[in-house]
Amino acid sequence: MTKEDCFELGKITKTHGVKGEVILWLDVDFPEDYEEMDSVFLEVRGELVPFFMDSYQLRGNRAIVKFEDCDTFEKAEELLNLQAFLPLEILPELEGEQFYYHEVIGFQVIDEKLGPLGLVQTVYAMQAQDLLVMSYQNKEVLIPVDPEIVLGADKEAQTLQVNLPEGLLDVYLND
Amino acid sequence: MARSLKKGPYIDYRLDNKVIAMNESGKKSVIKTWSRRSMISPDFVGHTFAVHNGNKFIPVYVTENMVGHKLGEFAPTRNFRGHIAKKDKGKR
Repeated sequence: MTKEDCFELGKITKTHGVKGEVILWLDVDFPEDYEEMDSVFLEVRGELVPFFMDSYQLRGNRAIVKFEDCDTFEKAEELLNLQAFLPLEILPELEGEQFYYHEVIGFQVIDEKLGPLGLVQTVYAMQAQDLLVMSYQNKEVLIPVDPEIVLGADKEAQTLQVNLPEGLLDVYLND
Repeated sequence: MARSLKKGPYIDYRLDNKVIAMNESGKKSVIKTWSRRSMISPDFVGHTFAVHNGNKFIPVYVTENMVGHKLGEFAPTRNFRGHIAKKDKGKR
């Protein structure tokens, strides 16, 4: 299993107690979708290694996890800050114009008024508002991800419909 | 120490005037600003601000839950290049 076939689920942030349990922070929109899990891939020195769970308790967007063969505080400490991944195929298929961020990279951005613009390069996950990065006329244009601005994606046509606020392109083109 | 309630929230007067003018005309174009310290008032909701982070302008589309915060909070000056990996995020 490589990172290309996986999505980032979260990170091990803390140890919990002295019996080898750790806190797995889930960096997802809907943690309740992950109420039951029995294994995750942890990135150890650049490689994804499967770790099986003895116990898993979800609390908000954190889970108290006890991995197999990890029963001391010292062993739990070794897992700190490791990133957790799951295979992409377990992600539920989204309906209609909903999309996952990783799906829209390379999509053509089409504005309601201006027509086709550039391609989506990446998405920055910010705390308050995520930003979509579009390349347009050799410039990097940032687009706030909000339902008022990013209207939806057409996965077959590989396009992303947006309604850019007036003057947004000028901010970057005249910079 | 918190700002005195007597003074009210701080909003750069030029920025406030621009928003008021836009609300009166019904226009919603992007407002460039360097005033990161200005507090977001309810009048700002629905407008997009290009807030300077010292290097470039970061677009901030103001929603209701941003009211009371400062514009600068939404245009980070560091670690901006946090590239998103494939995540179960962004269901839109």
